[in-house]
Amino acid sequence: MPDISKAVPKLDEEEKMSGRAVYVDDIDIPGMYFARTVRSTVAKGRIVKIDVPKLPKDYHIIDHTDIPAKNVVKMIFDDWPVFAEEKVTHIGDPIMLVVGKDRAVIDDICENIAIEYAEEEPVFDFRDSAVDYRFEKGDAKKAFERTARHIEYTYRTGYQEQAYIEPQGFVAYREQGRITLIGSIQCPYYVKNAVLDTLGCGEDDVRVKQAVVGGAFGGKEEYPSVMACQLAVAVKKLNVPIKLVFGREEDMEVTTKRHPSTITLRAAIAEDNTVAALDAHIKLDGGAYLGLSNVVLSRSMLAVTAAYTIENLNVAGDVYLTNTVPNGAFRGFGAPQMIYAIEMFMHHIAKDLGEDVLEFRLKHLAKQGDMTATSGHFHEPIIMPALIERAMEMSDYRRKASTYAKDESNHGIGMSWFFHGCGFTGSGEADHIKAEVKLEKDIEDKVHIHVAAVDMGQGSKTTLAKVVAETLGIPLADVVIDNPDTDFVPDSGPTVASRTAMVVGGLLARAGQRLKSEWVSGETVVVIEKYKQPDHIRWDDEKFHGDAYPAYSWGVNVVEVEVDPHTYEVRVENVTSAYDGGKALDERIVLGQADGGIAQGVAYGYLEVMEHDKGKLKQRNLTDYMIPTAVDTAPTRTYLFDNPYALGPFGAKGFGELTLVGGAPALALAVEMAIGRKVTKIPVTPEVIMELMKHGKH
Amino acid sequence: MVEHIVPATLAEALEAIADGKKEVIAGGTDLMVQRRKGAGRLPDFPDGLVYLFDLDELKYVRKTADALHIGAMTPLEELLKHPHVPNLLKTIIAEMASPALRRVATIAGNIANASPAGDSLIYLYLIDANVKLISASGERSLPIHEIITGPKTTCLTKQEIIVEITIPIHRFTHERFKKIGPRRSDAISKASFAAAAFIEEDIIRDFRVAFGAVSATVVRCKDIEETLKGTRVDALKEASRSIIERYASHIRPIDDQRSNKVYRKTVSTNLLADFIATL
Repeated sequence: MPDISKAVPKLDEEEKMSGRAVYVDDIDIPGMYFARTVRSTVAKGRIVKIDVPKLPKDYHIIDHTDIPAKNVVKMIFDDWPVFAEEKVTHIGDPIMLVVGKDRAVIDDICENIAIEYAEEEPVFDFRDSAVDYRFEKGDAKKAFERTARHIEYTYRTGYQEQAYIEPQGFVAYREQGRITLIGSIQCPYYVKNAVLDTLGCGEDDVRVKQAVVGGAFGGKEEYPSVMACQLAVAVKKLNVPIKLVFGREEDMEVTTKRHPSTITLRAAIAEDNTVAALDAHIKLDGGAYLGLSNVVLSRSMLAVTAAYTIENLNVAGDVYLTNTVPNGAFRGFGAPQMIYAIEMFMHHIAKDLGEDVLEFRLKHLAKQGDMTATSGHFHEPIIMPALIERAMEMSDYRRKASTYAKDESNHGIGMSWFFHGCGFTGSGEADHIKAEVKLEKDIEDKVHIHVAAVDMGQGSKTTLAKVVAETLGIPLADVVIDNPDTDFVPDSGPTVASRTAMVVGGLLARAGQRLKSEWVSGETVVVIEKYKQPDHIRWDDEKFHGDAYPAYSWGVNVVEVEVDPHTYEVRVENVTSAYDGGKALDERIVLGQADGGIAQGVAYGYLEVMEHDKGKLKQRNLTDYMIPTAVDTAPTRTYLFDNPYALGPFGAKGFGELTLVGGAPALALAVEMAIGRKVTKIPVTPEVIMELMKHGKH
Repeated sequence: MVEHIVPATLAEALEAIADGKKEVIAGGTDLMVQRRKGAGRLPDFPDGLVYLFDLDELKYVRKTADALHIGAMTPLEELLKHPHVPNLLKTIIAEMASPALRRVATIAGNIANASPAGDSLIYLYLIDANVKLISASGERSLPIHEIITGPKTTCLTKQEIIVEITIPIHRFTHERFKKIGPRRSDAISKASFAAAAFIEEDIIRDFRVAFGAVSATVVRCKDIEETLKGTRVDALKEASRSIIERYASHIRPIDDQRSNKVYRKTVSTNLLADFIATL
């Protein structure tokens, strides 16, 4: 059998390169209307009065009074309304849609709607905890009591904006009494289930189709449900096709971002200068509505010790509600904040103890069989020593680190170690997602893949088709995979959590095996495969106890920088990475993920600044919010290691998020070395570096 | 219905704007962004546009004995390749926007937009460039600091077009430009610094410094410069701190979404100190 890792042309390459791919905004339906959202301009308050000008013929207002069933966007908690009723909770809170045929007239109506608010004092600090989780491992209390030396640091991270290429949007229309929504989405069934709840209609009354998606990075996980519910209410009432597409600024102002965090870590130091216990408090800014924030928090907490094993832990986490844009899913999903904090902390402890940083870290590195933070086990082989050795060798880490730490060259090199838990947390796959895939062989012996997984540029159409073709031993050209349509595909779960290759791909491989055994040429054969939790994986969701993930991917990032001594600007000189993602299903696709992920992760550490002023975001477009250009992106070397996972297709584990989570700490550690000052806050901008260099050493 | 005009000649263009109603657009890299509308709508130019970018008669670079004359519609990218264009200006242009934008963006557009962060402006101030304006009723030529009257404001009337930028030819032994952008391409400057000096036998014959994005317009202090001419290099270096202090009151940056005033002021003075130290 040929090596599945060998790259093939992506199945969607031709349609995208030729410009023929149909994105939401390309869809034009005869008689189509447009919608625009009227939003709160205050951070917190009550709506006292709304004055709508006299509407021209065929222009309409849609608000909460038009909702047939529940004014809730179904996510995890019931706190996110489709439209605000009396109270508004953040600048940008949606109040109503203005619908009509001419966008200029709609804009004019929106500008002339006067809303009077009774403003209330908004909350921007960590005061109102809405989610409070905690767990323990071993006996941290005793370890703290028995040790004399304790070290504490607090780390802060900022917002990050997904900055997908295509802003969010939907087109919705009525067809034979049913409502169809076509959207730029990651999770067709999240959208469908949310719309069902809002309309209070039957399973068959709503159909969701994925348009070609121009990037998502987690930003199209939960937010599209908000737009879909609003639009479905409008279509239900007006019975016309309507398009709701955001411009870049509206998209940046109102859609979910990465949670800003404050993480306080305290270590009890044993007599042999190892960490006997760790006390962690992770605080996330949830924004105005919870959305998925509790799940994000749990992934932060589960990554508390990242690539290290620490015997005694006391871990607390809170999501605080603030009167700001709701935060949500973003590639890494809570892990980037935590991995940044723990990596900085391990370095800071070693420095404070006068230990060799590398030796100190190696002493704590997790090994196969070790207990995870939640007292489960690392069941699979951990090949981190090989990854670390390769990354250090290729980046000349040892020599550079010892030189830069002493000299005045303004150069620095930083190395992060990390894992990423693959798939949904704990028993999520078995209890909540219950993924199902379908393979259908037609009479021409073509095999159709029916899954809800969305190709948002990460290449899942190609990798999943390869898995099926290789399993069946048929040409790739005989495998058909279309964008999901809930009328035809079973719910194989959302396209999130680095689960598509491993979980959906794993199910397809199993379905393929069965199809192979049931294969009858010239006849239709259908195979359905459902997710089963591996027997050895046990998880207690209440206690945060057991195996939080069935498998882990591992990685090492090395980043080298130069800091300008006059302007404090950071120049990223090169990046070296080594990853264990099990087995690459397509080497070029995986390397593409690696290049993009590390660029996004490094930029999170120094470049991407987003702040709000009393609830109003200051960086609202791509002129003011900086993502790296090709010129900012340093030469990047990536080494992929095979470490096949028995339950992944051809050994594949998760990869998409792994490549982002270690970028910021590697960058921040390099800056720390270059300037000889400890970094505790990202993004470590020139403005931050200036302050650090002004206030003396350490 | 709004009427937009694409004149084939300068004369036609002047006629089209003679009534002072229509707006003039060159590459459009600022105006198209400033007049943007929401999703699915075109930028708004309610009074109509006169599109100058096709005026080939304004695309030239000519060298005379004491000056370089740049036609107003010459795209930045062409200046970057032109043998007569001074290296310092090329260094600046190479850091402006991105290659795609530079193919349509012009120095004239940078002048008309009059942003304190306009990167080519810092050079025009440093070098004492002149700008020639023309209207149906005549022409006038003014130094750059008289053209730009404040942030985003100029002395151009709605009947006038920028036709030429004149760059006097100077001899420098030292030149410096530093753009402090939030990233290395396609970025609006947080601050910028340009400096040039002519040193002969250890004596400062010419010394000029300009700061961008730290005040309402580009900052250049000729009074300070004058007092430094004729001093010895080592004396200048010794006086570095007091020179910086004299500049400090002219550097009055703001806090905004791109940076803060402390940073802008600190790096501006750091760069001046470094320029003096490396003379």
